Order: sequence, then C-alpha cells, then structure tokens
Amino acid sequence: MLDQIDPSRAISEAADRVARTTRGGLLKQAGVGAAILLGGVCTPAAAAATSQKQDQAILNYALVLEYLQSSFYTEAERMGALKGALARQAEVVGAHEREHVRALRAVLGPVAIARPRFDYRGVTEDPSAFRDTAVAFEDLAVAAYKEQAPRVQSKELLASLLSIHSVEARHAAWIRYLAGRLPAPDAFDDPLPRRRVVAIVEDTRFIVAPAKTSGKKPPRFTG
Amino acid sequence: MAEQVTVEVVSENACADDDTSRHPRRVEILERAVVAGGALLAGGVLITGLPRLATSAPSAKQDAEILNFALLIEQLQVAFYAESLMHGRLRGQWRQFAQVVAGHERAHRQFVESALGSKARKAPRFRFGEATSDPGKFSAAAVALEDTALAAYNGQGPNLTASALGAAARIVSVEARHAAWARVLAGQNPAPQAVDPPATEAEATAALKRRGLLDG
Amino acid sequence: MTITAPERHRLRRAGLVAGALVACAGLCVTAVSLLSPDRSQTSLLPSPPASALGFARPTPLASDAHLARWAPVDAVATARRAPDPRAPPVARISTRTPEHTRNIVQLLGRTRERSGRLWVHVRLAIVPNGATGWVPRRALGGYVFVHTRLVIDRRRMRAVLLRDGRAILRAKVGIGKRAWPTPSGQFYVRNRLTRYRSPAYGPLAFGTSARSPVLTDWPAGGYVGIHGTDQPELLPGRVSHGCVRMANRDIVRLGRLMPVGTPVTVH
Repeated sequence: MLDQIDPSRAISEAADRVARTTRGGLLKQAGVGAAILLGGVCTPAAAAATSQKQDQAILNYALVLEYLQSSFYTEAERMGALKGALARQAEVVGAHEREHVRALRAVLGPVAIARPRFDYRGVTEDPSAFRDTAVAFEDLAVAAYKEQAPRVQSKELLASLLSIHSVEARHAAWIRYLAGRLPAPDAFDDPLPRRRVVAIVEDTRFIVAPAKTSGKKPPRFTG
Repeated sequence: MAEQVTVEVVSENACADDDTSRHPRRVEILERAVVAGGALLAGGVLITGLPRLATSAPSAKQDAEILNFALLIEQLQVAFYAESLMHGRLRGQWRQFAQVVAGHERAHRQFVESALGSKARKAPRFRFGEATSDPGKFSAAAVALEDTALAAYNGQGPNLTASALGAAARIVSVEARHAAWARVLAGQNPAPQAVDPPATEAEATAALKRRGLLDG
Repeated sequence: MTITAPERHRLRRAGLVAGALVACAGLCVTAVSLLSPDRSQTSLLPSPPASALGFARPTPLASDAHLARWAPVDAVATARRAPDPRAPPVARISTRTPEHTRNIVQLLGRTRERSGRLWVHVRLAIVPNGATGWVPRRALGGYVFVHTRLVIDRRRMRAVLLRDGRAILRAKVGIGKRAWPTPSGQFYVRNRLTRYRSPAYGPLAFGTSARSPVLTDWPAGGYVGIHGTDQPELLPGRVSHGCVRMANRDIVRLGRLMPVGTPVTVH
C-alpha cells in the first residue's frame, strides 16, 4: 500500500534512534509484568453478558488508547523539545486527546480503567522520533476505533465514537503532512483487530508498571 | 529495571472477535435498555429520560437509502475534482491534493455503486461555477466539501447495519484525512474541534447548496 | 408503524434539541457546526442519534509554573557535571533507596547532544545539599509530573503544602535542634513508608533527598524525613536530629495530599 507504515516497527525504530541501541540491547527488556485487563474475562457466561458490559469494554479499550496518546502529547508539550508547526500540532492534538480521555472517563464513571504509567523513553524529547511515533499512533487509533464501531451496541455511543474516530483521522493526516508523508495514503482505511492493536501497543513498551516508591521498612531517617 | 506491563484486552467481545453478525441488532438492545428506564451505561452521565426519537431500525432497505445519499456525495466529489483538474489552474500542492483525492473519490464511488447494484441512483448534473476554475474558490470549496461529506457520513453511520457500517467506516476516515489535508493547505486548523459533529441529510445538502455545489 | 412527514420533521427537530441538551448537560459543547438546520426540507433519512458522550471545549495545558517532574532510576548511573560522557563524575546514582524503594530523581532540565543522545539534569540526594548532575536519559524511567510543593519555614516552624501554588495544608512542625539542623535548600520527596512499628515516627514517614550536613556517619545515610511523632506536645519546636515532625493527624493528611516526587523547599 502506498505510504502505509508498519506502526509497530515505526515506533520501535523511533524509540531505538533515541536510545541509540539495538532493539535487543535496550535496557528495558520486555518482561511479564502486571497486566491491564480491560473488561471481563471471556467465558461462556461472559459471552452472554449484557450489551452494557460489552460497550463498557469498548469504552475502556478506547480509553487506554486515548491515555497513551494524551500522555504522549502532554509530555511532549511539557518537555519543550518540539518547535514550530510540530509543537503547534502537539498542543492542539494533545488538547483533543485530553478531552477524549475526560469524556470517556465521565461516561464510564467508576468502571473507567485507571491511567497507566508511561515511559516514552525520550521519544517525546526528540522531534523526529516524536513525529514518527505520532504518525503511528494516529493511524493506529483510526484503525482501532474503526474496527470496534460495528460492535458497539448503543447507537448513541456509536455516534460518539464515530465522531472521535474521524478526528483521529484528521490528526493522522495532519501529522503525516508534517512528516512529509501523504496525508491520505489510500482510498480506504482498514480496521485493525484488537489483538493486533494490543500487540503493537505492547511492542512499544511505553506502558510500564509504576515505580515502587512506597515501602514498609521502618524509617532510619535522622529522626 | 522497569517492570513491563502487558496490555490484555479481553472482553466479552473477545469471544466472538471476528464475527459481527452474531451481535444482536443494536437498536433492539437500545430500546430494551431505555424501556428499563435507566442510564445506558453504569456510572455515566447519560441519556436518561430523554424523549425517544423515532429513528428507524437499521435494515437493508435503510442501508440502501443511506448509501444512495453517500453515493450522491461521492458523485459530487468525483465531478468536482475532475472538473477542477480539467480546468488546469491548480498548481503545486493543491494540484497534488486534487489528483490524489480525485482517485480516492472515484474508488469510493465505485465501491458504493457496487454495494447498491441496481439500486444505485444516477448522478445528477453538477454545476460548480467558479469553484472549480478559480484556485482560491477551489480551496474554500474543497474544505467545505470534505468537511460536509465527513459530517454526513458521521450523521448516518449509526443508522447503518453493522456490515454496511464497517464499509462506510473505511471511507469516512479517508474523507476526514482529505478535510484535514485541505485545511492544512488552506492555512486553517486541520482539526478545529475535539470531535466532529454529525450532520443530518438535510443539513448536509443545505450546506452543499449554500456552497453552490448542489443545485436547489 | 408509519411516520408522517410532519411528525418526522417534528421528531427531527426534537432530536436536534435533545441532542443539544445532552451535549450541554453540565458542560459547554463546542458544537461548531458549519451547518444550520434547513427547516424547509423534509428529511428522508433518519437523524443521527444524540451523542452518548458529552464533550467540552478542549483546553490548553495550564502553565507549568507549579509543575515538577521526577523519574525513577532504572539503571545505575553516574551523574556528571555536564551532559557529556567525558565530564567529571559527581555521584553514582543507585536504583534503590536505603529503604529498598525505587530511587527517584527530580528533573531540572534536559538537553540533546548533537549526536542525538539525551541527557537529563537531576537533583541529587547527596551532600552537599543542592548538588545536581547530568545523567543519560536511558538510565531513567518514565517521567511523572506533580503539581504540589511542600514548603518548610524553619523560623516559624510551619509546613505548607501547595498545589498549583495554592495552600491546601498547613501544619506546625518540629525541626532539627541547633546541633543537628534541618538543612535549608531545595529537595524532593523520595519515598513513603507506612505500616512499620516505630511510634517515634508516627504512622507515616516520607523520605526526602535532604541529608543532614552534620550526621554524615548516620546509618542509612542520614536522610531527613518528614514524619509523625509520639510526642506531639513538643511541636512546634527544635526537637529532632534534622527530621521534620508533625502531629500524626497532619502527617496522615499529608499522606493523602502529597505524592512522592513532590519538591520540598526548606528555608
């Protein structure tokens, strides 16, 4: 496909450029850590679960992707390494993604998944790595929302998600333009199955467990 | 060493991941939920107590009506870009934009035509005036056209059956890319809002008429 | 059920209003529609349903005047005087604190070498207090932003916790006796300890990057903590070997309001 990117490779190459080591040599080796479980477990009983629970699972899935993007853009803006049109894009798009997070959390209420901890490993501080990763993120978000749309049970919720989906596509075109790529590489955008999206997100290794800064040892401060 | 986190997205949907046909028809669930009287989603701010709109249930027949509307929009876009390129006044990035987008819209038109088969409407005669011959007017018209096409698709998306929606969704994001691209070239904010508002059929056609892109 | 044209028209208008109500419930929505309803035309196609989510106008980030950043130390590293591998070393940074929690550093700045390698300027938990150094970005984990700051006023023997510049907690404190003063300067909260049994520290203790300038041989490094006490009657006062003590109900409140990584100003 003309100017399609492999999002997983694009992101890891961007991160590698910043870390200046090969993939195998990166300090942070992928390990089995805590899992973020979205939604219920797939059992026969769960398969008959209410449409409400199904829609909740879709919302939480969307929320994780929005967290990933909003934290990315927010950190990029705060670290101040971007300039000019790229900085402006990060400001505007970041504000959108933060609003998506807020709106999704508001409708999910207590069942909203918590924001994970992220480690962008310098990608937010290097303009070209940022740019290439943003291209991958936005294309990924479009494909993820698109794949979920036919599964949404509530018509009203579908309307909301479609209105987010198209804005992500605007973001994608915009950042592609800034990256010197075709804003619309193809006549049709394809959906990406959830397992594939999750694998790509895992491959980035941007989601990390929070550092353990709490303890139970008796203090030995000066007192 | 940072502990890595695996993201597992497991949900009830995972049980029937690739089979959308097994999902109950959306509107039935919706109506059951509303009759039950509560909010549609737990913990949410939601649509409690609003008057029920007599929106029609998704159906193959309604799909055809909606797709014919989409077809009109695609026909309009094909004609608009073809005529603009024919006048030969576009230069540089606008010309590249028109060439690429023209190809996409032709593909969209063909796709929707095939989906409709014998039900496909005939294209009306389009008269675009200077919107296709004057580069300045072209850029404003292109922005409006793509923004409107997008809003129209978003407006009808929820009314489609699941399979038609899957198809339409592959088009709508491309229209959004076109809209953003045109806006960048026009020096405007490519994504002026956090979410794209939908348009009714009447609103979309009215907007196109106001722009002189549709007769009426 | 057939719907007549006028009914359809009325319902569509009701739908627009209902949609607007939902969208505006509690929030302002930027429904900047470039389209206005055309009342003269009867729609053949159904209306879009109202959005389930309420969206508000996107807002830019607040100024970062009150923002602080920290990152965990993911790999042992040498902090240097300058962002250059050949610069003289200042200190070795380990991944763990003496309390076996993950070591963290406060971020003061960043830079990028011409080669593309990123360096971060960090506050160090060493003496002399106030020492800083540069470490490779690679040695650190993900950045965390905090909006709080703790200010300790030694003369008035008072602590104030600020969030986005506004005071959200005030407490009387005990500070170091003159022989073992609480050092002045800029520090940060490194960790948080609970569920230990040591009444002299109260129910909760925060470790900081501050170190006693005199108790240099103290086991476990002589770090200054912020903690509760079993002698609240001594507060406010110069009572400790350098730690900042507060009444247990205050330290518990602080525990709810002050995240690890919060910068601490002692003056």
